[in-house]
Amino acid sequence: MTEGPVELGYVDLLLASAMLVVFGAVSVLARLGLERKLAVASVRAFVQLTVLGMVLLPIFAWQSPWPVLLWCVAMGLLAGREATARTQRSYRGMGWNSVLAMAVAGGGTAVFAQLVVLRVDPWWTPRYLIPLLGMILGNALSGVSLGMDRAMSLLLERRREIEAQLAVGATRQEVGRDVVREATRTGLVPILNTMSAVGLVSIPGMMTGQLLGGTAPVQAARYQFLILALIAGAVAVGTLLAVVLTVRVGLDAEHRLRVERFGDDATAG
Amino acid sequence: MFTVDFATDGLLWVRGPSGVGKSQLLRAVAGLVPHEGDVSLHGDPRGPLPAWRARVAMVPQDPPADDATGHQWVERVASLAHQQGREADDPIGIAEGWGLPEERWKRPLSRLSGGERQRLWLALVLSRRPDAVLLDEPTSALDGVARDAVAASLRGRLGLLITHDAALGEALATDVLELS
Repeated sequence: MTEGPVELGYVDLLLASAMLVVFGAVSVLARLGLERKLAVASVRAFVQLTVLGMVLLPIFAWQSPWPVLLWCVAMGLLAGREATARTQRSYRGMGWNSVLAMAVAGGGTAVFAQLVVLRVDPWWTPRYLIPLLGMILGNALSGVSLGMDRAMSLLLERRREIEAQLAVGATRQEVGRDVVREATRTGLVPILNTMSAVGLVSIPGMMTGQLLGGTAPVQAARYQFLILALIAGAVAVGTLLAVVLTVRVGLDAEHRLRVERFGDDATAG
Repeated sequence: MFTVDFATDGLLWVRGPSGVGKSQLLRAVAGLVPHEGDVSLHGDPRGPLPAWRARVAMVPQDPPADDATGHQWVERVASLAHQQGREADDPIGIAEGWGLPEERWKRPLSRLSGGERQRLWLALVLSRRPDAVLLDEPTSALDGVARDAVAASLRGRLGLLITHDAALGEALATDVLELS
């Protein structure tokens, strides 16, 4: 009987890769034409994960907060970028608004988790901080991008109604309130759905990892609930902040509707 | 660069070929688009924009056409902070004088005809008793009788008027601004 985690060597990875050959066989037999893409994706997955492991190794070993925090900043920047790359429209400065939302939501939540919930010592212990922040940012970025996208399209769809109200003395807060509310709701619905369905069919990724790593199921489940609660809080803060910042671009300080600032291409500055 | 001062009473008829920027001029006076130049009313500079727009109200060429009813829009406009404390008339009564039945205010604006929506929105704005009005083609969707009734209500008002209806312009305007 196997006890504790199975140590994986290169031979094990080669054996697992047999399943990639199965994928390739399916592609060839069914004439899917996906062989090239499969090759590229397989190599990328292997290289990216290997590099990640090699980078995290010294960060975990260093015993200094600076490389850990530097890595966290890099994750925040990447998440902010990724959130804006997914939207249909964009505006100047959108990338920085997204990064700011990620920094406040992800940073605040991760610090809260380390200091108050887990009380790890030192608070920046990378074994906790880096995976937690990664999970939080990964989920926050979908809320942020959904919320910003919806805010821009609502301002465009309702420009007649908004401008007619501005034209009789409405402030940008008065006409922006409903847009903020609706766009934020849009960004928050997926995490609520995830929380409602979790554990019914699949075991979530983090819990799977912990079970494979030898953690007792009840402990793994508790960790999974903890991460979901953290994610929910972070998604709420990040989405609301990103939506408010976006609406303030579409409705400027002079209470003018500036939807011409929303470009159609998906490249954000 | 321009200077607009509402100094004398009456409507200034803004004329010019399509695309010359008549609507943009109105929107600039309302402060709805970035622009250079000064705008004042009886010599007082424009000041903070929402307060200005409550006093100098613009009636857009395309009024809202969403799922809210006329009654809901009346409430929404009346609840705006800068509309508080202003005396107001009954918009339904105004529009009835232009042939718009009271029942139309119970329908979503999206389900009204262009002419109905135009009268409803104009009545709503005029009922707020603005000091001046910025009218962008206020009768473009109206037929003879309704158009004449609206024209009669607009006589003697202060503000800017854009219209392709030459008879309306000549009947209402005290001055003409020709853009080219």
